[in-house]
Order: sequence, then C-alpha cells, then structure tokens
Amino acid sequence: MKNWLIMAKKQRWHNAYLFIAPVLIALGLFRIYPAIQTLVFSFFKVNIVSRKYTWVALKNFSLLLEDLTFRRALSNTFVYAFYIVLMSALIALVLSSLFSSKMKLGDVYKAAYFVPFITSTVAAAVVWSYLYDPRFGLFNMILKLVGLPGRGWIASSRDAMLSVIIFSIWKTLGYNMVIFLAGLQNIPDMYYEAATIDGAGPLTIFFRLTVPLLAPTIVFVVIYNTILALKVFDQVFVLTSGGPAKASTTVVLELYEMAFLHYRFGYAASMAFVFFIMILVVTVIQYAISSKWEVQY
Amino acid sequence: MTLARVSRMTGRILLHISIVTFGILMIMPFYWMIVTSFQIPQNLITFPPKWWPQPPTLEHFKEATQQAPFLLYYRNSLIVANIHVFSCILLGLLAGYAFAVYRFPLQGFFFVLILSTLMVPIQVTSVSLYILMSRFGWIDTFTGILAPDIASAFSVFFMRQTIKSMPKALIDAARIDGAGELRIVFTIIAPLVKSVMATIALILFINSWNDFLWPVIVINSERLRTLPVGIAFFKDPFHINFGSLMAATTIATMPMIFVYLFLQRFVIKGIATSGLKF
Repeated sequence: MKNWLIMAKKQRWHNAYLFIAPVLIALGLFRIYPAIQTLVFSFFKVNIVSRKYTWVALKNFSLLLEDLTFRRALSNTFVYAFYIVLMSALIALVLSSLFSSKMKLGDVYKAAYFVPFITSTVAAAVVWSYLYDPRFGLFNMILKLVGLPGRGWIASSRDAMLSVIIFSIWKTLGYNMVIFLAGLQNIPDMYYEAATIDGAGPLTIFFRLTVPLLAPTIVFVVIYNTILALKVFDQVFVLTSGGPAKASTTVVLELYEMAFLHYRFGYAASMAFVFFIMILVVTVIQYAISSKWEVQY
Repeated sequence: MTLARVSRMTGRILLHISIVTFGILMIMPFYWMIVTSFQIPQNLITFPPKWWPQPPTLEHFKEATQQAPFLLYYRNSLIVANIHVFSCILLGLLAGYAFAVYRFPLQGFFFVLILSTLMVPIQVTSVSLYILMSRFGWIDTFTGILAPDIASAFSVFFMRQTIKSMPKALIDAARIDGAGELRIVFTIIAPLVKSVMATIALILFINSWNDFLWPVIVINSERLRTLPVGIAFFKDPFHINFGSLMAATTIATMPMIFVYLFLQRFVIKGIATSGLKF
C-alpha cells in the first residue's frame, strides 16, 4: 500500500511536468527568451542579414538620450497616457455611477457604449481618419454647420495628438464603464439607502460614498488604462503614422519603425528596454497600491 | 405635484437625455461609416452633408471588393483566431490542472515564470522575436503569426483558479475508479469548467481577431493578411476614395458587430468577471 502511494505520487509529478511542458516551452521560447534577448540586444549593434552582433556597450542608450524624435515620442506617450487615464476613466466613472444609481442601463445603450471597444482598433481608426479629414470629414462639416472654423485634425501637427487622444477616449470608454458598473454592483444598496435617509445629496453620495467604496476598481482602471495607453500603436499607425513631421509619434511606433523599417534592431532593442522599464514601474506601483486599497463590504 | 417631485422628474429627464446623447455620439462614427458606404460619390463632397444615402448605391462595395480580397482576410483571421483560441484553451486546461491539483518541485517558480510573461508585452519582445522567427524561416507564414500566442498565461491562470475551487473528492473518486489523468482532465474537469473556458475563449478570440502589431510585423504577402492588416493597407494615403474606404470598413466590422450583439450579455459578463484582456 505504502509503495503504491509513493509510486502514484511519483507518477503524478511526472504528469505535472508533462502537463505544464507545452505552456512552458511555448512561453519560454516565444516570450521569455525573446524578452531576455531584447534586453541583451540593446547593448549590441545587430545586423540581421549577416547575423553579426557587435558589442557597443551603452552606445545605443547614449544615442537614445540625444534622439530628439525619441524624446518627442516619450513625451507624447506620457501626455497621451495622462489624458486617456484622466478623461476616459473620469467620464466612465461619472456616466456609470449616474446610470447605476437611477436606472438599469438597457441593452441598446450598453451596445452603443461597448461596440467601439470590441471593434478592431485599426478598422475604427480608419473610419475616424475619414471623420477627421479636414476637407470632407464629418467633424469639420459639423463645425462649419454651427459657424465655427474647421481644424486641421490629423493633418496638422498641432491637432494630431489631440485627434489620437479623442479617438482613444471613444474607444476605451465602454470597457471602463463595464468595469465600473461591475464594481458598483458590488456596493450594497443599503449604503445608498442610509445616505439618502440621512439627506445626502447626489454629489455628496458620489464623493463621500461611491468614490471611496469604488477605490479598488478605480485603482485597477487607472493602472490598466495606463499600461494600455503606454502601448499605444494601432491608432497612431492608422491615423497619423506618427506625423505630420513626427508630431504624434509614440514609443512603440518609434520602436516599430526603427526595427522593421530601418532594421536598426540594436537601437530598437534599447527603446524596448526603456519601454519595459516604463511598464515595470507602473506594474510595481500597481502591486504596491492594490495591496493597500482592499475594501471589505 | 410638489417641488421636490418636479426637480426629481427634471433630473431623470436630464439623465435620460445625457444617456441618449452620449449613446448617439458613441454610435455616430459607425452610422456615418454605413451612410457613406451607400452614398453616391458626388454626395460625399457636398455641403451641408447628406445624413441619409440619397439615392443609395452599391458602387463603393463593388469597388472595395474588387480592390481587396476581403473573403481571404476573413478566412485568415478566422484561421488565426480559432487556432489561437483552441491551443490556448487546451494548453491552459492542462497546465491549469497541473498547477491546481499536483504538488511538485519548483511549482511556485514555474507558475510565477508563466505569469511573468504577462508583464513583458509583445512590444518589447517583438524585436528579437522577429529575428528568432526569421532564423526558423517562419516570417510570412501562418506559423509565424501564431507562434507567440500559442499559449497564454492568462488562460493558465484562470483555469488554475477555477479548478482549484472545485471539490478534490471528484478527482479522487475518478482516480479510485481507475481513470487516467488525461481522461480526468477531458471527461470530468473540462465539462465542469465549460463556462470559464467559454469566457477565456471569447476574450482570446476578440484579442486575436483585433490583433495588429505582431501580424503587421510578420506578414509581408497579401495572401496571409488578417482583417486588421488588410484594412490598414487598404487605406492608401495617396489615393483616397472615402466611399470605398467606408465600404471596406463596413465589410470588415459589421459582421463582428452583429455577432457581438447576439452575445452581448455574455461578453459583458465575461469581461466584468475576468477584468483583464490579454
């Protein structure tokens, strides 16, 4: 009997490794190994054709420091992330707390807010590139209808980033609302009933009750939107291609162009390194905050 | 009617108006896309804009389908998304079962290792992943598109959580009856975690369907283009015909939107419970 148990245990060990092996191999080969190699490549000059790797120490990074376009990409990415988090999360929070407090949101409205999110970013951005067209686009037509001057939108270096931001708020709003609505559903009704009986107005209820009780969800939405915003690529690629004159370029777009248009893989790897640090910092902050902000109902 | 009731009524009406207005704003780009795709060319440049296709025409759809093989794009997207979903679910089920049921050396290490891949996005790995793929000769092949997404840490994690919450007696009973481990996974565990599998499958499918960065890096030839890549290259910056461009995006987006409308409750519930999309 004892022998049989040991055998069985041994066999299951063996099974366990067999069961996790495919995932480990796939992720190890296609995720972990390239991730480490990218970090290593950032210290090399990589020639992909002759497969020559020349050690250049920190040269890629010193180039990066002087690279004005990359600096522009960094600041654009941060500005973008800031506005997306602020606007998309804030509008979603206000809208979803309005909805859930007074009425059940019908399926039709839900669809209206959520369809942009499930649609492919590329296809939606193509539609918006038409809306943004300075001459025939709907936005300038509407501005003209109400007697306002048209804007350059994606065609002007001043408006390009703004255009990308407005598009992305539209695109992410529905997702944030779903998360907020789910969070709001977890808050017991009795808190609201008690507050109403005590004579609290809607604004007091929002700031003193909804926001504090929703804190973990808010933290999640902020972090999640930040990470997603730092990765911004599809809409910039389609709407502006980072232009005009690099006015709306972002970190991932620069990285993409450096590697896959200019074939400067070592330099692109150093950008990826910087980008990885950015994501890492946000993730660490997430862990630090979310462990502190647990709310028990 | 008291004053309080009147103000409550106006509040409700204002709320309704704001919901409807915001809803219309959200839908407007799709409405304009469809209207434009049916609008005769000369109406596209008139001011004020025509809010309804008068008269409607199929000209742009004809032109769009002549310019690009949308059926092929659909086929490619379906192949990629289905294989992606199937393999992530299958591998996730096996690994999730192992992490939930067995105790083995280095278990914690392997689990953290798998989860750590969530922290390193494809944007970081793409640079050397491309070099690896070219060494394998997988650039511009289906294998190349699929390789980095063949397994998903997200799927492993959710499978483990779900299987861990199930009564262990079930597995023990099956073992006593002499069922092999694989048989337990597929005939006992799998049916029980069906709804979680469906949620994971759905999120993986939407992500794969909309995925752009890696496909655009690895695909060179037209015959492998997925829908997002096809649409992105349909937009030619030097020769813009907005009518056929909107017809193309209508073809590319509307079928998915219709499918979504049928599954909406399920999709929203799935995303609200899992929270993340990877």
